[in-house]
Amino acid sequence: MDLLYEKCAQRAAGTIFFQRDLQNMQVAETLGELTMLVGQLCAQHLLKLMTFDSEMCWKLRTRSEADKLRRLNPDERLLYHHIDQAQNEGIWSKALRARTNVTQQLLTKCLKSLESKDLVQSVMSVKFPNRKMYLLKDLRPSEDIAGGPWQSEGDFDAALIDTISGVVARYIESETCIKVPGNWNDYTPMDRAQAIAQKKAQVQGVRDIEDSLAVQPYKPPVDPTAVRVVHRNNPQYPTAGTVASWLNAKEILKDKHVRDDDMEQLLEMMVLDGRLEKISGATYRTVLMASDTKTFNGFVDAPCGNCPVFDLCGEGAISARTCVYFGEWLATESEVI
Amino acid sequence: MSYVQRETPILADLCTSLVEDHVGELAARIFSVLARLGRQTLAAIARASYLSARQIRNGLSVLLQHNLVFHSPVGAPLVHYEIDWHYSYALVRQGSIAKFVEERFDKRASNVVANLLSLGPTRIGDLKEAYFPAHDADSDDESDDGTANGSPLKKAKTNGVNGISTKTNGDVNGDSHTDHHATNGATELGAQRKHPADDIPAEHVNGEPVAQDEGVIASEKQLLDIVQLLMREGWLMEADQTQFLSPGDLHAMVQETVIEEEHHGIAPTGTKAKDDMVRSILRRKRKIRDGWLTVPATLSSRKRQAPDSGHDRSTKRLKTNGGNEWSANTSNGASSQRETSPEDDIPIRVNPEKVAVAMRSAQLVHLVEQRLGLVTAQVYQTILWQLERDLPRCFEEWPDPPLPLKPGEEPNVEPPWVDPESLITARDIAKNLDRHLDVCAGLDPHTIVKITGKGHVRGNVLTEPVDPYGLSLDEKTRVVDAHIHLLSEDPFHFVSWHSRAGTISRWRVEFDEISKALIQYEIENTVLARQKGLGVKLIRALKKKGRLDERGACNAMMMSANDIRGTINDLTVQGMIQTQEVPKVDRREAKHSLHLIWYDRQRAREKLLHDTYKGMLRIIQRIAFEREKVQVLISKAERSDVVGNEEKWLSQSDLDELKKWREVQEKLFLQLTREDELVATLRDFIGPLVSA
Repeated sequence: MDLLYEKCAQRAAGTIFFQRDLQNMQVAETLGELTMLVGQLCAQHLLKLMTFDSEMCWKLRTRSEADKLRRLNPDERLLYHHIDQAQNEGIWSKALRARTNVTQQLLTKCLKSLESKDLVQSVMSVKFPNRKMYLLKDLRPSEDIAGGPWQSEGDFDAALIDTISGVVARYIESETCIKVPGNWNDYTPMDRAQAIAQKKAQVQGVRDIEDSLAVQPYKPPVDPTAVRVVHRNNPQYPTAGTVASWLNAKEILKDKHVRDDDMEQLLEMMVLDGRLEKISGATYRTVLMASDTKTFNGFVDAPCGNCPVFDLCGEGAISARTCVYFGEWLATESEVI
Repeated sequence: MSYVQRETPILADLCTSLVEDHVGELAARIFSVLARLGRQTLAAIARASYLSARQIRNGLSVLLQHNLVFHSPVGAPLVHYEIDWHYSYALVRQGSIAKFVEERFDKRASNVVANLLSLGPTRIGDLKEAYFPAHDADSDDESDDGTANGSPLKKAKTNGVNGISTKTNGDVNGDSHTDHHATNGATELGAQRKHPADDIPAEHVNGEPVAQDEGVIASEKQLLDIVQLLMREGWLMEADQTQFLSPGDLHAMVQETVIEEEHHGIAPTGTKAKDDMVRSILRRKRKIRDGWLTVPATLSSRKRQAPDSGHDRSTKRLKTNGGNEWSANTSNGASSQRETSPEDDIPIRVNPEKVAVAMRSAQLVHLVEQRLGLVTAQVYQTILWQLERDLPRCFEEWPDPPLPLKPGEEPNVEPPWVDPESLITARDIAKNLDRHLDVCAGLDPHTIVKITGKGHVRGNVLTEPVDPYGLSLDEKTRVVDAHIHLLSEDPFHFVSWHSRAGTISRWRVEFDEISKALIQYEIENTVLARQKGLGVKLIRALKKKGRLDERGACNAMMMSANDIRGTINDLTVQGMIQTQEVPKVDRREAKHSLHLIWYDRQRAREKLLHDTYKGMLRIIQRIAFEREKVQVLISKAERSDVVGNEEKWLSQSDLDELKKWREVQEKLFLQLTREDELVATLRDFIGPLVSA
């Protein structure tokens, strides 16, 4: 029996054994003996019986796991069995109860003990936030219940989203915009009119009054280090697909794969955030602001726009005459009541 | 106090304050009665106002003169008066109008406009008389003038009072209003002609009192040229009886004519006939309105005789060396004698709708400057100014209702007809662009290299620099084209591609869509200032997705519910978003209900507009309060012996205080103008939005 177990354990973990595989191991001499051995292993929870295409097959459990399973009481085992069946989709506690017909108290007690034995885990479903889903400890919850790469423990992972969106924003900026230094076009203003006028003056000896109006256009002094970001000429605007494959290639997210849908969600969120703008159907680019100073509008820049007592203001104790905010803003005295 | 009078709506308060500031207290008293009670007869006003009949007549005539009230049609048995809310509010814009005209034309033109604004509708002959009086104005008017000029602070008020006192001949009876106003205006002209732009905002918002020496109109001919130019550009229009009709009266009148002429005096009953009637009423209204804007034949025929074509709309040129042309004009026609010419009898007034067009242009240019940079903004300004000439207003107030669909018929989706005149090509813009503009700035260096074909880009620096002023027209066109592409790619779609003629792309500006986006932008701006980023994110999410429950909102914003609940609450309280509860079961339990949040652009727009009116009113009230505080000092500084000798007669602390008051006033007026810009965005650029 142990021999069979050892032989099976030599294979890669998680291998599924069919009857012919076990026969090929040549541990048992007859089919009957093999059946008996397998039966014993199953009874000790060292093998897990499964069916595949209505054919019996088995999977190996570790000894420690089997050990834990052996210590379960029948109710717990029943629950464990059902949870196991749900695999990484998980099973809702209510559905579990419906299937097993145990009482609520017993269910809670058993689940607790299963959890304490490190056999199952509970996860909050993303789709139904008030449902507790149970699944085996060693499984990773599927995206249906745990959400995409942006979520952890059923909630959006703000820190992760923040970091990734920063990275993505930088990537998109480098794709769609170009940094232009202040001295990019370091021309010397050549003024034809001036040149002609000078030539004329030389020839005629007298300056024509009409020619002298060629005032040099004012050229503001440029600071070579002042970098301006402008939109790229003919850029390849990234789509959710290209950004996703770039991000996956960079492997910034540890063992998480970002699908196009996930990326689209993130990019759309960034559009809402005002960091990106959508160009056509599915392409994005960085929002640029030419001026650094942000003004809002006439209303909110005045005290009234942000006034906490705006709705109470009128005749009476709160009015334009007595307003402290106006007083502060204009640096004048308000009426004191 | 009765319930209905407990609080007057904000706009009424605001307009009453404006009227008081601009045309005086008496008129404001009557205005406030009309604001409170709505459409009234003379007798009813008398009952409600505790004023004598004579005072009421004077006040009403002032209001009528400034187009602040409508009156019922001539020949009606009882004359009703009603406030023109739009024009009353527009009092706050008078300074802006003069400023926009000055930007586009020159000081002279803005002077004419400012005078017309302060006078109300005026016959051209009277305007001539005012600028070039046949005899000297009476002496008492002159002295009045002096004080008013010297002390710009209280000018508006003095004028208002002045206006009333001179109007002793104002016996107003329902049937000869227009004539009366024209003549009234004329009597007042003598007193007022010397202050151009004589409303407060014009002077204080610009920060510099309009100098009187510049922009003096030298001759009658020049004046006519200006008037004609402004009429052609749609800034001035012919004054007409129908303009004094309230929307309701106008509708009734047009309906009556339509029934009379097209339905043989019997009101139609069938659905189709009714629909026809609605259409022809709208058509007629549009016709009446467009009639105001056509330049009268007498004026336009004069143009053909005029030898010069210096008044073509090439704004930049007019601005830079306009002086020469004007003076050239002067020499032509200065000697003409005063004679009655046919155009003298045409009454003209300022087109109140045009200023919104100019404000829209200004705001769009400002927005482009923020988003894409100065040079692109200049390009855009050139585009918009070129279009403005053919835009008398921002949106059609009386559009035809959509044709009823026959069952099974698809809605007509063919693109609206576009006037080929309103299409733009890069070449036109390149020609009209200010020559002193570094057109290459704000573009990707690679673009420039591609256009000039010289050198290449190394480390984003051109190896062979390009002199932007030395570009050929062809190169310049392509550079401008690059700017236009930037404009069109922006999410606002400042321009959109229309068609291709040969190798040249033709562009148009879809003002309606941009105006909607502008409204959204201002709402977002307001929320951003109050709530920081989160509120804007929520509003954008709701705008994109429609109604959402909490989970949907969380998913769209990728945040946890706890983080956004507070924001939802705040925005709901402010009226920017709405909440809705949909019960899932018969018992309306909170637990078993869907809680949805949604955002309606039109509602948010109205809410913000209302708040902005309120903010403006508070500013005006604050100005009054600040003035009250230094009133003693102001009257001292306005004394005729002190004016001009402030240094001598006022103490240092007084001077400091005066200076402080001027700064405060300036700051408040500036803010008032900026709030007015917001009002324009929210109210004037596009009609009501049916749904988000």
